Amino acid sequence: MDKQEWNDNLTMDEPLRKRRRSEGYSMASSLVGPKLLFRHPDSLAAPIESDASIFHQRTELVTTSSTAKLADENVAPFLARHIPDQYGPLELRPDNRSDKPSMTNSRYCYRHRPDLKCRRQVDEPSMDYLQRELQTLPQSDQQGIAHVWSLFSAAPAKHRKLMLQGILAQCCFPQLSLISASVCELIRIDFLTALPPEISFRILSYLDTASLCRAAQVSRRWKSLADDDVVWHRMCEQHIHRKCMKCGWGLPLLERKQLRASRRQMEQRAAHWGVRNASPSSILSGDMRCWRESTDPGIASLDPPNSERRVSKRQSVPPTSLSEDDDYFKTKFRPWKEVYKDRFKIGTNWKYGRCSVKFFKGHTNGVMCIQFDDNILATGSYDATIKIWDTETGEELRTLRGHRSGIRCLQFDDTKLISGSIDQSLKVWNWRTGDCISTYTGHRGGVIGLHFDATILASASTDRTVKIWNFEDKSTFVLRGHTDWVNAVRVDTESRTVFSASDDCKVRLWDLETKTCIRIFEGHVGQVQQVIPLPREFEFEEHDVEYKNESNSTVSGDDPGVPGLSPSPKPSSFGPSFDGDRPAPPRYMLTSALDSTIRLWETSTGRCLKTFFGHLEGVWALAADTLRIASGAQDRMVKIWDPRTGKCERTFTGHSGPVTCVDLGDSCFATGSEDCETHRSDFTNVFLLQNMKTKV
Amino acid sequence: MAVAQVQDQLTLTSSDGVDITVDRDIADRSLLIKNMLSDLGDPGEPIPIPNVNESVLKKVIEWCTHHRSDAPSTGEEDDNRRKTTDIDEWDQKFMQVDQEMLFEIILAANFLDIKALLDVGCKTVANMIKGKSPDEIRKTFNIQNDFTPEEEDQIRRENEWAEEYESPP
Repeated sequence: MDKQEWNDNLTMDEPLRKRRRSEGYSMASSLVGPKLLFRHPDSLAAPIESDASIFHQRTELVTTSSTAKLADENVAPFLARHIPDQYGPLELRPDNRSDKPSMTNSRYCYRHRPDLKCRRQVDEPSMDYLQRELQTLPQSDQQGIAHVWSLFSAAPAKHRKLMLQGILAQCCFPQLSLISASVCELIRIDFLTALPPEISFRILSYLDTASLCRAAQVSRRWKSLADDDVVWHRMCEQHIHRKCMKCGWGLPLLERKQLRASRRQMEQRAAHWGVRNASPSSILSGDMRCWRESTDPGIASLDPPNSERRVSKRQSVPPTSLSEDDDYFKTKFRPWKEVYKDRFKIGTNWKYGRCSVKFFKGHTNGVMCIQFDDNILATGSYDATIKIWDTETGEELRTLRGHRSGIRCLQFDDTKLISGSIDQSLKVWNWRTGDCISTYTGHRGGVIGLHFDATILASASTDRTVKIWNFEDKSTFVLRGHTDWVNAVRVDTESRTVFSASDDCKVRLWDLETKTCIRIFEGHVGQVQQVIPLPREFEFEEHDVEYKNESNSTVSGDDPGVPGLSPSPKPSSFGPSFDGDRPAPPRYMLTSALDSTIRLWETSTGRCLKTFFGHLEGVWALAADTLRIASGAQDRMVKIWDPRTGKCERTFTGHSGPVTCVDLGDSCFATGSEDCETHRSDFTNVFLLQNMKTKV
Repeated sequence: MAVAQVQDQLTLTSSDGVDITVDRDIADRSLLIKNMLSDLGDPGEPIPIPNVNESVLKKVIEWCTHHRSDAPSTGEEDDNRRKTTDIDEWDQKFMQVDQEMLFEIILAANFLDIKALLDVGCKTVANMIKGKSPDEIRKTFNIQNDFTPEEEDQIRRENEWAEEYESPP
């Protein structure tokens, strides 16, 4: 085959190559050199520029005189053998390809098969550089170098490897250094685009909020992945209503049910993302690289195969196209990223103490107890009344009158409100109408604490007892043990236990089955005002414990079932009545006392895990969820704490008297004070920053 | 003795036709191989591993050898709340490879169903993304910005909320 014939072949193949080029990369098209030089057929896919520098350095080996001979005697047959449809005799051209499947398959390594898109992007600057450098050489050298490149680019993977190894073997250190530096720069892969979506989602799931939002700004493909529900659903699972172990902060509760219900759906979404239009052949061949080609129309339009189309696409893109791209794969719900964003903003407002404050004024004596939900806020006062307020507007809806003395405790649910008073009685109210439904008497002192859950009501009294009222069978019984006023009480229905806090500086845990005290928590050196078992979802890391051997806190039980002595294989530390299937009491509990501290306890061991210092005087009020603790004290301050670190995140001032009660929600907290006022701080919408002075 | 040893070993054939002999417990790190062997028994001949070439397969085996005594993977990712991008020191060193090798390791781990290795690979990529600006990410992975300037600006504003938590106003 002489040179003329070769050129003819090239000319004849022009249309074919053009078609191919549009499928692959148009690297050579950017070069305007001597025709022959870059007209080798595989220029569309071969990474010439990466190897060019190597060859460049080796030109002296290819003598000018031998170059032309090489082309005639070696290059052409080599090319013809390996790329028969372009260089071979006519009878071996495409029509006959089916006869030689093994040959066509071996022509390229998988990266360079024209039917598989190469991940390598061609970059024009380095091609320009190569072209310029080449043109400084004599014509014959140019030809020589071009032939070496042609040979390489026509070679199948195995040959290429050999060639490279041969070249590497001849390189001196400076040349190797050049290679090593260039290679680093060259091997850059768009992982998220090149990997199957499932794996891309896995990568994204390791990112934090800010990194995810930055990833969404990288490219269209990245945006479609990084904004996807699969990713943000997981972010919501990780952060909402619990502290993420990864980044140390949490978002308030939202619909946990919805979160759980959609989990499976999200797993499926991740698994099928982008493979809906997989070509049958790719599935059959089982080639794990096939997904790269198996793009659906939506993704294909995001990722045009060549830069020319990309440019034209970019110009024709209407502004709405971003949301249209994955239209038919849309969920019916609000995007999880939006859900997360809203919660995130609230979390940020909490962090920086940005809130609007509402004032509820109307009581004529100190406000002693408080509770709110989305609609109403209820307060009980020493003025012997209970007031129901509109949470949003702050308007007073009604006043419940009937108690003969100050109200010290209350709790409401959808149907009823129960209050406890210094007049020694408990009253059950229909808070919607203001009617008193019934009055419970039985305590021989003021009722200063109460809590109900499901069918059990517990009341705490200055008569040093806790009384249990069963709504279902109307039975009652008394828990005796405290040696001073009982200030607070908490029922845990799941484990059928009750917690109580007393002026005797102790906290007791009672078993409702045996009606005995199963644990006493000692450690506070002041009257314990509040006790709150933490939700079971609350997580606490052992390394956050600050007292390994807290000498002040000791455990003792009236129950004979001492842990360790029981012969049962799995003895409960709460005694024999908890062996077996019975749920254990909540693992963690919080207390506050007039010794100005808040304490976090582990109920099973009785250990005090953390002490929260910061209040200057006794802590009357305490509320907590899995994310934060709110406390109110004699020092007129309200503090927000991180239960895990024990750090006070923010201090709120504003009350002109001791803060006696506090309630906490996802995005707000409310406090009552002896100054007769109730304040509610809302972190959702921030308008009135200046209403409450904040300081850390 | 020699016979027993042979029974405890397997031969894998890489996509480029190289046979590599490994201990059975190392090969068992791959759920694909493990399940295949427990379903079909020892084939008694080299097991072809398509799509994983010699250098990648060797790398994967190196990882499996180091982690041969780890507790077997539970299969399901049970506790995603504790996910962190911390990578143990040996794995970090192991993953100090070029992007091509990293890419191939991830694909191989996915194909061979070696969940822990897949996780390490994904974490490594995540760490390459973390803390970078969109432009730095593009540079790291050689990605073309295919947004129009208007789109880019709009998307930046849409995502501004996430920056606030990091840097207080």
